[in-house]
Amino acid sequence: MTLLTIDWMFLLQKLILIAVIITVSLVIAMYATYAERKIAAIMQDRRGPNRAGPFGILQPLADGLKLFFKEEIIPNSSSKFLFILGPSLAMLTAMMTCAVIPWGNKLEFGETSISLQIADINIGMLYVFAIVSLGVYGIMIGGWSSNNKFSLLAALRGASQVISYELAMGLSLIALLMMTGNLSLRSIVDQQMAVGSLWNIAYQPLGFLIFFICALAECNRAPFDLPEAENELNMGYHQEYSSMKLGFFLFAEYINMFISSAIMATLFFGGYDIPFLDEKTLSPNLAAILGLGAFMTKIFIFIFIFMWIRWTLPRFRYDQLMDLGWKKLIPLALANMLVTGAVILWQMKG
Amino acid sequence: MNSIIVSAACGILMMFGSVWIGNKNYFRFIAATGLLLTWVANWADMNGNGLFQIPASGMFVYTHISYFFNAILIAATLIYVIISGDEVTKQGAYPAEYFSLIFFVMSGVSILMFYNNMLMLFLGIEIMSIPLYILTGADKRNLKSNEASLKYFLMGAFSTGIMLMGIALIYGGTGSFAIDIKRAGSAVPGFYNGTSFLEITGLLFLFASMCFKVSAAPFHFWTPDVYDGAPSVFTSFMATIVKAAGFYAFFRLVEVRMAQTATSVDWKLIISFIIIATLFFGNITAVFQQSVKRMLSYSSIAQAGFMLFSLFAMNDLARQGLMLYAVAYSLSTIGIFAIMTKMKDYSFDGYNGLAKTHPALAATNTIFLLSLAGIPLTAGFLAKYYMLASVIRTGTYTWLVVAAVVFAAISVYYYFRLIQAMYFKNGEPVVAAISPIFKYLLISIAIIIIAIGAFPQLFFNLFYFG
Amino acid sequence: MEPTEILFWIISGIAIFSALMVLLSKNPVYSVLWLIVVFFCITNHYILLNAQFLAIVNMIVYAGAIMVLFLFVIMLMNLNTISEPRRTLWVRLAGVVSGGLLLTVIISTVRSAVDMNDKKALMSTGDIGLIQNLGKVLFTSYAIPFEISSILFLSAMVGAVVIGKKE
Repeated sequence: MTLLTIDWMFLLQKLILIAVIITVSLVIAMYATYAERKIAAIMQDRRGPNRAGPFGILQPLADGLKLFFKEEIIPNSSSKFLFILGPSLAMLTAMMTCAVIPWGNKLEFGETSISLQIADINIGMLYVFAIVSLGVYGIMIGGWSSNNKFSLLAALRGASQVISYELAMGLSLIALLMMTGNLSLRSIVDQQMAVGSLWNIAYQPLGFLIFFICALAECNRAPFDLPEAENELNMGYHQEYSSMKLGFFLFAEYINMFISSAIMATLFFGGYDIPFLDEKTLSPNLAAILGLGAFMTKIFIFIFIFMWIRWTLPRFRYDQLMDLGWKKLIPLALANMLVTGAVILWQMKG
Repeated sequence: MNSIIVSAACGILMMFGSVWIGNKNYFRFIAATGLLLTWVANWADMNGNGLFQIPASGMFVYTHISYFFNAILIAATLIYVIISGDEVTKQGAYPAEYFSLIFFVMSGVSILMFYNNMLMLFLGIEIMSIPLYILTGADKRNLKSNEASLKYFLMGAFSTGIMLMGIALIYGGTGSFAIDIKRAGSAVPGFYNGTSFLEITGLLFLFASMCFKVSAAPFHFWTPDVYDGAPSVFTSFMATIVKAAGFYAFFRLVEVRMAQTATSVDWKLIISFIIIATLFFGNITAVFQQSVKRMLSYSSIAQAGFMLFSLFAMNDLARQGLMLYAVAYSLSTIGIFAIMTKMKDYSFDGYNGLAKTHPALAATNTIFLLSLAGIPLTAGFLAKYYMLASVIRTGTYTWLVVAAVVFAAISVYYYFRLIQAMYFKNGEPVVAAISPIFKYLLISIAIIIIAIGAFPQLFFNLFYFG
Repeated sequence: MEPTEILFWIISGIAIFSALMVLLSKNPVYSVLWLIVVFFCITNHYILLNAQFLAIVNMIVYAGAIMVLFLFVIMLMNLNTISEPRRTLWVRLAGVVSGGLLLTVIISTVRSAVDMNDKKALMSTGDIGLIQNLGKVLFTSYAIPFEISSILFLSAMVGAVVIGKKE
């Protein structure tokens, strides 16, 4: 079945995969809001949402409905197109990253095998970086087109924070990539899955620490949530937003959290690798499903840590934030890179 | 290669100098020592005793003339640092960094001497330009300096963009960055071996951007503003050493790369137009200036017009002439600027009566101006003579020579205006304190200029047998 | 037509249109945004050439870093009002004439070209833009320019500190 020399089956298969992955990440992001409120409640000795459905399990749906029915307000003096483009971009870039994440091994239906990854490109990690660096535009455009001083300031803060921490993030990863010699996320997972090899966290603890801190900053999560510091900037870059456009901004944050957890799990914690188990002994489909489960468990643990940090640590001051990024994390990442390079060279010699 | 590494290393040392060394006055001595080291490294390399031998895989080509030109430029910088080093320390709060930027420029200059590849040309030009943008804006409290820096940066970045576009097109057309690509046979398979249109368009772009870098008309508009706005010490540096280096790079480019397309493009015609335009704009506008500094910036455009003759003629005389010109022009301009930095008022009237109060300054300044104007017995005369002779030897376009002589006559007017102000007008020039060493340095530069003018064979002996 | 060819024409069309819009937009913020679209199209061209590494680096460096800084500056300077000085007729005329001359030169060289006939880009088959090949070339035959570019960056860094630091 070829028309225009495109394999339509392949295209259909990928489209379904994309639809499934996007739906799943939206649902997870939705329930992440619920989880956040519950966790906050536990930490503050409260009950948290408990009215909508059993244990308040329908709360996210109710929140979503509320956002949909709110009045759309677009400030008079702002550019309407850019005002709408801002949250859309934030959402879009948040979703785009999941294209290269290997969610699991191959599923096999008779003769066709379906890879649980949308695209295995050989520069997967760089792709993630490119999309993350584009994420700034959502915030900046939104903040600028609100035509509000607080929004603009918050947007600039957010953008400079993201750019600054991207550097340290990239540098911390270079050490890891020097070890793997590969940028494709699937091969990185495969290397960790191989019998007798440890997860990358064992070789790159410092790299992981830097990456984790930067991931917090990239997602604008506490203690790095300066763009939305209420006491300084009212509400931050989405002050003028209402209704579902506000929802998009808030939602994008949770999706980012989900995706960055997935990336950390992939890079440092073996991805869909089940610890102490050789997947080759299982049937492929079972291994894929179990692997997916293991991957999701790792992601949820990370999301929990994100929330745990948010509800325990106070916010940084702006100059402290920049100091940490430029004067501590970047030199540390460089040193890590140097040591890793030296060790690799030494091993190659020996 | 050795001089590139040594000057870059000196740059890094100077960079740390601001942390390690508290006394500002040491910087210029360290810088002078560093330049001396660079010069020695270059000289040793020239005689085959280099410290490092790095396989350059065709990126560099080492010829005697390149080494010699490099030696001239490093020596000129050494003289510049010795004579104006204390002025550099007086600019802004970062003297060590300024010296380190000057060293980085010098490593860019060395790259331009030896480049054999357009990648290296680009790197050399950029390493030379970026520190200059900073040095132009060194006087941070002065709006004029800021404006000049920004203007230079924006225009320079634009011309770099055009240069890169040109290099990309050339690569697309020929599949090679090398400037001495061997056609037919060894070129990359699948690429066209004759002259391709991508190559010609690319070469035109490259040509335009090089014209910008050496401030040839019609790409000269940035020069007066930038030279005028920058602190005088740094103007002196960019108008001399950097410009001469740019010219040598341009010369190599035209000689090796453009000449390959001579069957499809009449480069001589293009260059002759540019020469005439440069001479015209430089000389005519210089006549109307009231400030000596601004006059000198226009005169530097006019001098660029003369140096362009070497690109036109492309023979041995042109090569020797370019070297002579670099020496004569750089030394004179460094001298004039060194005197100017001591003056309070940069206008012509500010020099009134200088001969009475400071006879040594006035006399040396006169010699420098005469050399720039091309009066016999000075190096400047000989340089101009070689340039014109090289054109006559090609046997074509003799009207260029006539035009050049007319413009040289015009240039005498504005150079003599300053001499007239110093000797025949009365006034009380405000001059900063002059140390005797400064005076002796000026006199020795003047002696070098006259020595080369009177006994040019000394210079050429050095070149051929040194 | 191959799918890649169709994609090529679509992307090129968008690229040229947005490049024009960069120039025609009155508002500098819009110009920057259109420029980002241009970079996206160029990234896609790289992907069509199977130069994945170049594509992504183009996106990270230009769209992700440089244009963000552009936006920063423009937003902080608040250039959204149309404060551009009016050009005089002569300046505009000179611009048109010199631009037109350049166009004439380029068109005439294209017209007289013989070398580009029947040449096609290597669509999705070349492998020169893959990270492994680029890395090998960069660290073997282009090792010297690679090392020397460090001087360039160092000097730019020194310059940035000198310019940016308070006196």
